[in-house]
Amino acid sequence: MAKPLDEHDRIKFRRFGPYRIIEHWLHAVIFCLLVVTGLAQKYHAYDFSQWIVYRLGGIDSARLTHRIAGFLLIILVVEHIAIAVFGIAKRRWQASMLIQIKDYRDVITNLKYYFGVKNHPAACDRFDYKQKFDYWGVLVSNTVMIVTGIVLMFPIVTTKFLYGEIVPAANVIHTNQSLLIILVIAIWHIYNSIFSPEIFPLDTSILSGYISRERMQHEHPLELERREREERKALRAARQKHD
Amino acid sequence: MNVKNVIFLCALLPLLSMLLPLPGGAAAETISNQNDACLACHAKQDIVISFQNNESLSGHVDVEKLKASAHGELACSACHIEFASAQHPKRIFRSREQFTVRASLVCRRCHSDEQLKARPVHVELLERQKAGAPAVCADCHGAHSVIRVTRRKSLNDDAKSCLSCHRRPIRIAFQKGEAQSYIVDATVLEGSVHNKLSCADCHYGFSRDEHPKRQFRSPRDMTIASAESCRRCHFDKYSKFQDSIHYTKLSQGFLKAPVCTDCHGHHSISSISKERIVSANRCRKCHPDIYDTYAKSVHGNALVNEFNQDVPVCVDCHTTHDIQNPHSLEFRERVPQMCSSCHANKGIMGKYGLSTDVMKTYLSDFHGVTLGFYIKQKNLLPAQAKGIAVCTDCHGTHNITSTVSPDATTVKANLVQRCRKCHANATENFPDAWISHYKPSLKRAPLLFVITILYKFLTPLIILGLVLQILLHIWRYAVSR
Repeated sequence: MAKPLDEHDRIKFRRFGPYRIIEHWLHAVIFCLLVVTGLAQKYHAYDFSQWIVYRLGGIDSARLTHRIAGFLLIILVVEHIAIAVFGIAKRRWQASMLIQIKDYRDVITNLKYYFGVKNHPAACDRFDYKQKFDYWGVLVSNTVMIVTGIVLMFPIVTTKFLYGEIVPAANVIHTNQSLLIILVIAIWHIYNSIFSPEIFPLDTSILSGYISRERMQHEHPLELERREREERKALRAARQKHD
Repeated sequence: MNVKNVIFLCALLPLLSMLLPLPGGAAAETISNQNDACLACHAKQDIVISFQNNESLSGHVDVEKLKASAHGELACSACHIEFASAQHPKRIFRSREQFTVRASLVCRRCHSDEQLKARPVHVELLERQKAGAPAVCADCHGAHSVIRVTRRKSLNDDAKSCLSCHRRPIRIAFQKGEAQSYIVDATVLEGSVHNKLSCADCHYGFSRDEHPKRQFRSPRDMTIASAESCRRCHFDKYSKFQDSIHYTKLSQGFLKAPVCTDCHGHHSISSISKERIVSANRCRKCHPDIYDTYAKSVHGNALVNEFNQDVPVCVDCHTTHDIQNPHSLEFRERVPQMCSSCHANKGIMGKYGLSTDVMKTYLSDFHGVTLGFYIKQKNLLPAQAKGIAVCTDCHGTHNITSTVSPDATTVKANLVQRCRKCHANATENFPDAWISHYKPSLKRAPLLFVITILYKFLTPLIILGLVLQILLHIWRYAVSR
């Protein structure tokens, strides 16, 4: 990386708007709150868990905190889905997060690249398959956690309409799914946005909203190509208008 | 070797043999096992022996009396010679008389005519027997309760001096106008664990020369004051007693609350009995209603009717000297531990085909986890101290029934009622949210089982896949550079 960046590489591209940045960090805070209050209950035998629960003012307040955080998560997830559906329907957003056959092909291409069969990694669009896995993992998990969490919070209402076994089943799913998603975030998301050698020390795009052209070329070449094509087209159209 | 040496050796041999360990331990074990096998049926109240002439006789054996009797150490088959653990011949008797006469012949196997004649009362009986009128030993001596007549230990002179007056009834008048006769039975005193003590060891201030006159308002006052003597030697027990609800009640002026002698006896004080029913009967004296409920429960029934020694008696949960208020929060918090001291023990539960997972499953469930938090937080956050469902809230306390009995449907119906004590609007489905102390399996809670297995495989698989990809990524990056 010693060579100086030329003028072309210095150009920055807008990747996230303020709305997405705020949404991400709100989610991060709520997620951490849920993890801390949740894990302290899941691993209640450990002194550290006991300490956390005591700091939160006892198990009853710890549970209340967990439930309030859960309620905030519900608002966030419902809002996110509503905006996504509305935005895509109104064609204000592109459905760039949808998983396509190309993503599976990209996985295979990348594996080949890792093993030295290919010389270049897969060329990805706005979101690569790693990010899509991250996104859908979190969205599906959140939905599962919300549904099972509501069952656990209202066992009496649940058993008015459903079998009793639903409650312990919800408990098993809630506790196992939480562990799965925590590990996915802690390993996959944190690696890809902090520790990956191409990104390290931090993927700043989620703070500033901008990404360098160099990274665009490297990580999202298809998007770069499309956006520059569109820019040229717009420029040409503007010039024609001007003329 | 001269004659002197031979004599010396002959004298030494019996002495040496006394030093050798006797096989007494093993023999006692088998006797106790055999007796337990017999008592499993014969401790029951309703066991009856019928005779051809429609007479009948109770076959019930009072365990307490048997153990306290002169024959308490013997195996059942020592007298009932035709019987053994695995041998129970069916015998037919014409009448009750024929049975008892026959039974009395057994006594004579050990007690020879010479021995009997030593007591003048027997002489006439033996003569009558020769004339064809058989004597039944048990008529006077009792059967299983046969009383020890020989005096093995003699009281010391001090005691004899006191007994010269106190062996006769002595009337004591109390301030409130009551009067009561007191008698000290020398045989009872000899049989007690304190038979080596002087009277003055307990009745301090009294001796051959001194006999202070004391004033008590009532017999109960005297009993309570007398029990204060015990602490002079048994201070550890006394200080525990001071922490008990019995002491609290007593100090609040409830004089019926028990003191040492109410449970242990006074002149008759015996060493702690291993018979669990003896201990239960002590509590019964003041708590008869609770005893009756207990006797009907799965635990009490096994103790009273089956002579079962595994079941808990009062003191196993309530402890002995430092009995706490069972309605207190501290007591409630200890309940899972009390139950698990037997119910998590594979050695005991295996005999009855009961699961030992009950404690683990309780502790990993909502109520158990919450209880764990409440106990640990109690000192740090005293304002939050409160209770949550423990074993007894669903299973009951003194009235615990078996959950595998034919009444299983009632158990379930009762469960809804018990859930509703805390969860007022619980429906019929609600108890199913509780998977009854069993680990999920394909038979029980298959849904839970499948989900658990699924996650057990999926979680490591996904994480392993991700970690592998990360490692590959790093490796490739390093190689490319």
